[in-house]
Order: sequence, then structure tokens, then C-alpha cells
Amino acid sequence: MRLSRMLVLLVLTAIVAVTAATAGARVSGAKKTTTITFWNAYSSDGPEVKRLDKVIIPQFEKTHPGIVVKDVPVPYDSLHQKLVTGVAGGQLPDLVRSDIIWVPELANLGVLEPLDKSLPDFKALSSTVFPGPLATNFWKGHYYGLPLDTNTRTWNYSTTALASAGLSGPPKTFAELKADAATAKAKGLYLYAESGLSCWNVCPWIWSAGGSITNSTYTKASGFLNGPKSVAGIQMLVDLYKAGLMPNIILGGTGGLGTYDGITQGKYVSTLDGPWMFAILGGSVKLAGTTIPAGAGGSVSVVGGEDIVMTKSSKNKAAAAEFTRFMLHPWAQNQMARAGQMTVLKSLTKQLVKIHPYYSIYLKQIANARPRTPTPKWPQIDQVFQTELPKAFKGDETVQQALDSAAKQIDALL
Amino acid sequence: MTLSSSPSQTGLIGRSASALRPITRSFSRRRRKDVIAAYLFLAPGFALFALVILYPITRAFQISLYHWAIAPGTPSEFIGFGNYSKALHDPIFWRGLVNSGFYMAVTVPAQIVIGLAIAVLLDAHMPARTLFRTLFYLPVVTSWVVVSLLFRYLFITDGGLFNWFLHDATHVTGHNIDWLGQRWTAMVAISILGVWKGVGWSMIIFLAALQGVPRELKEAAAVDGAKAWARFRAVSLPAIRPVVAFVTILLVMGGFNVFISVYLMTQGGPQNETQVLLTWMYLQAFSFLDFGYGSAISFMLTLIVFALSIVQLRLFRRPSEAV
Repeated sequence: MRLSRMLVLLVLTAIVAVTAATAGARVSGAKKTTTITFWNAYSSDGPEVKRLDKVIIPQFEKTHPGIVVKDVPVPYDSLHQKLVTGVAGGQLPDLVRSDIIWVPELANLGVLEPLDKSLPDFKALSSTVFPGPLATNFWKGHYYGLPLDTNTRTWNYSTTALASAGLSGPPKTFAELKADAATAKAKGLYLYAESGLSCWNVCPWIWSAGGSITNSTYTKASGFLNGPKSVAGIQMLVDLYKAGLMPNIILGGTGGLGTYDGITQGKYVSTLDGPWMFAILGGSVKLAGTTIPAGAGGSVSVVGGEDIVMTKSSKNKAAAAEFTRFMLHPWAQNQMARAGQMTVLKSLTKQLVKIHPYYSIYLKQIANARPRTPTPKWPQIDQVFQTELPKAFKGDETVQQALDSAAKQIDALL
Repeated sequence: MTLSSSPSQTGLIGRSASALRPITRSFSRRRRKDVIAAYLFLAPGFALFALVILYPITRAFQISLYHWAIAPGTPSEFIGFGNYSKALHDPIFWRGLVNSGFYMAVTVPAQIVIGLAIAVLLDAHMPARTLFRTLFYLPVVTSWVVVSLLFRYLFITDGGLFNWFLHDATHVTGHNIDWLGQRWTAMVAISILGVWKGVGWSMIIFLAALQGVPRELKEAAAVDGAKAWARFRAVSLPAIRPVVAFVTILLVMGGFNVFISVYLMTQGGPQNETQVLLTWMYLQAFSFLDFGYGSAISFMLTLIVFALSIVQLRLFRRPSEAV
């Protein structure tokens, strides 16, 4: 009995040893794979994540054997926190698709690789993209990334709701906006809904009124943000709000009907938003877009978008650089454009309109769009907007007083 | 563990010192062994406590004394108690403290009173008692994230259930209330969620305590002519007093640590009106990367909760326990 047990044990040990040896031989015989991790906030509401996972990454892995891309999609609202935690814990991925407003902050923390130093073909790559989005990667003498997609906000409206409001077309000027908002309200609709008072929300109105946020070197807000033209831009919104022509979600409260829900339900006619709005709502609402109503400064919008940045801690920089190049390849840019991501390649602009007609209005608007102040202190500056401007909307202060206070606080941050 | 020096002394009176010595030595050896065993049993729990409580608190205090650079290897600037001074001069810190205090002041008494009332009802013999216990406890096991988002929709200005009931169905209000757009209405909405979610927890603890009250005491009181309220007030309530203290202390701690519901329902807005201490701390640390200031806020919150707990322990102490 004891002998037979020992025999069984011996046989089992032999089987395990042989299996392990052959498996080991297989592993050592196979080509070594490099895995790069890519954090991004591509939207899973639309087709972006699906396009990346099912089309782009498989194609990259096919054309770059030995490199595996681990896609880590993170909701936009959580990505900044995840990055901060990653920085503190020294656990950053190889590549990040970063919002353009975070790049100076991350570069300032010293966790990004300066691509103009580490990519030998940086000049060639950067020459293929629009200079505006490229500039969002620049911080203290170096480029820390390359633009991946760009966008801006345009005046997007439901054609059905516009007709219900008794209007024949979208407003083209500030004056038309005021008049049309009153017409729509008489029919029980809000012509324009805005979901907050951050710079992304209100800066287009400041710039379109001819105002500005800071001086050209981004060192001073006083005299610019609280200048008469900037005041006029905000005053127009305050007048609309106080006349009951805009829903209260502009104050940033979370209890109101959101812009997408309001447009889907036919209660709001228009909002300002990026091209993803067409990808998300296009199936349920008849949407059209046009440029932002013009004021004394013309029709000026805000630049948005994302950059691809490589972390200093990446152990696979060569593979990460390959994926960066691939994401900027016309084929990959074309694929993502089909998913609602506006290309940064100059060569693809003509094709964009063929992919989606709505891109034509974005291309027109982005020619007149400005970036938010590139500074690591941007989150604090944006908080100042959201804290001070509501005082003017609520009537606690005049617009001039609110912007004076905001400018003073922003001066200290700059 | 049960050995002490006193029985050894009293039981050996009259023997000579030399005769006592080996016995005493044997006792002290056993006692030392018991003490070592006790510490060994305590060690794993204390190690865990030190790792997840003491170390983070000490580290947070250390960080709070610096203008902290989050990237590893980057030098941080020592600023002493500068972050604490900043907090004391920060109006939103004080607003957060008031809001946290408001939430605690509303939710703690409500959870105790309602939880105790339900526990008393469920302690009685009634049909489907288990079903009701499960139903009342159900909110406790649901996700904070899910119910916070659900409540946000219930309190939406246009189309929310609360406004539908108050305005459309009963005409109690003349217009839809912007619940989440104003400070106090938003704090009320957040507090309602806190009470709804937490009442099942206090109920289950009170129920367990009530079931431990000796039946003979209640029967004796009934024989003496005490009615139900008098029996509850004079017999049950004093019997469960330690449990009431336990529930109160934990609820006060939880009340001051409110975070998820505020973050998901109002995000501290509009205009920082509904910031509580933890959402303000979170904003400082994770949005503005000011971990020094965030740590100072969290350390001050720890001190406040610690002080409140000590006060409560003294208040709930029985007169006989007082020194």
C-alpha cells in the first residue's frame, strides 16, 4: 500500500516536471512581449472606447508584433484624481491621454517626458499637426506631449425645438440671441442652456464680446478679465438669466435639468458643445450646429482637446513612442474621427467633412478659438470663475464687482 | 490571566519568607507568561491598527506641516503650522465645519429616534416581522454611490419626485423648489438621504439590545401597573443605555465624516455653499494638489471628532462610574 502510494507520487512529480519543462521551453522560445499601459478618458457613452479597443489597438498590435497595449479607460471626472494618486504613489502608466489643461500641471510636477528631447522625429511629427493644439503641450521651454485630438464649442441646436420655438434659424449675433431667447420663452422653451460658470462655459462669451482673461503672457488678469469688454460679455448672460431666459443650471447646481436631457426632452433649443454631442445625441435628436453668436469681438470659442503624454517613469519608452506615432498616423486619426474625435492633422481636414458633415462647423469655429490660460494653477483659476461669477447672476454683486474680485484672485495665482 | 498578587498574599499568611520565595517566584513566572501571551494576542490587532490608523494619522500630521510636493523625490517646504493658520482664516473651511455640524445635528438624533422607534415596534410580536426587519435594513446594504445619484434625481428641480409631490400633486408649494441649488435646502436633501440610509443600522443595533432586556423586569413592572410607555422609559431605556451611547458616538463620527453623498449630490456647490470638511479637503488635495492644506483639514477633523467622542463618553457615563 505504502509502495503503491510512493509510485503514484513519483509518477505525478514526473508529470509536473515534464509539463513545466515543456511550458518553460515554449516561453523561452516565444518572442518577448512588451506591454504598455495607456490611461485615457475616451467616452464609453459614444463609440470612442469601442473604436480604440476593437479597431485601433488590434491594428497596432498586428503591425507591431511584440507590443501589447493595455487600454485603461477612466471616466473623465476620475482621471485627474487617478493621475494625482499615480504621481504620489509613483505608479503612472506609460502613456496618458491628458486633457490639454492638465499638461502644464503634470509637466510642472516633473513626471512627464519632454518629447522634443526624447523623440528624434518630434519635429517631423509636430509639423503635421495644427500649431494651436501643439502649443498646449509647451511648458517652460519644452514640449511634453503631442496633440491627439482637438475640439471647440459651437452653437448646437435641435432643429425640431427651434421650429417649436417659432424661430427660423439660430441667432447670429448677441442682439439676435437676446431677441430669440424672448421669442422661445414665450413658447415655453429656453433658447440657450449653459451648464455652469467655468471658463469652458463662459469664456467664449467674454472673448466674443472682445474681452480677454489675462494679458498675452498670462501673468496678469486685472485690467483684462475685469475690463469693459469682458464685463459686457458676462453682462449679456446675466441679463438673459435675470430675465428668466436661461435655465438655472448655469449657476452650477446639480438639481436642474441637464443640457442633454433638456434638448432630448424638447425643453431646451441649444447649448454650446463639442463634436461628441453629435455622436452621443445624434441618434435621438435632429441636431445642427453653427458658430457662436458674434459680439463686438466676433465669434470666438474655446479650444479643448487632449494630448498624448509619456511619463518619465515609463520602462517601455520605445514601445510607448511607437504607439504615440501610431495614434498620430492619418489612418488612426481617421478612425477616431469617425468616433467623434476631431483630428489634429492638417492633412485630414478636408476628409473630416466627408466623415461627418458636422465637422465643417467645428473647423470653421476652431479657426477662431482660444486656449485657456496654460498654467499649473488652472484648476484654482477655474474655481475662482465658479465662485465669483454666481454672485453677479444672483444679484449679490454687479458683474464689474464680481470680475474685479475674480481678477484680483487670479493675479495672485498667476 | 485571572491570577493577581492579592490572593497569593492573603492565602499565604503565616509562612516564613524563605518558604514563600519559590511559590512567589513560580507565580510571577506564570504571571509574566500570561502577560506575554496577552501581548502576543494583542499584537496582530495592534499591528493592523497601527498600520491603517496610527500611521496615516501621523503621516497626515507630518504632511500638514509642509507645502507638500506630491511627486516622489521632490523636496517639500516646511511651513510649520501655516496650513492650520490658513484653515482658520478660510471662510469655506468654517462653512464646511458648519455644514458638517448641521448634517450631524440633523441625522444623528433622527437616526436614533426613528431607529429606536422602529426597533421597539419590531421587538413586539407581529406578523411578517422578519420581512420588515429586512426591509428597514435594506438601505444600509445598498451602495452610497447608487443611492446618492438616485436621491439627486429625486430632488431635481423640474421633474423630481419631491417637487412633483409638493407642487404638482399636493400644491403645498407654489413653485418647484431648487433643492440642490441652495445651501440649506441642499443640506436638508443630503440629510434626508443620510437618515434614510442609516436608520436601518441603528434599528438593528437597538433591536438586538432590546431583545437582551430581561423579560422578568418588564413583567414585574407590568405587575406593578406600569403602562407600555412607562415600561419602556423606566425599564428598557436604562437597560440599553450603553448601546445608545455606542450608537450615538459612532453616528456622530459618521456624521462629521459625511463625504460621498455630498460629493455626488452637489459636489460641494453651488459656489461652495454645500462644502463639508471632507469635500473641501478632497478638492484641495486632488484638484488643487495642495496636500499639505488637505492634510491639515483632515487632521483638524480628526481632533474635532476625537474631542466630541471624549465629551460623549463622559456624558454617557453612569453616575456610579464617575470618579
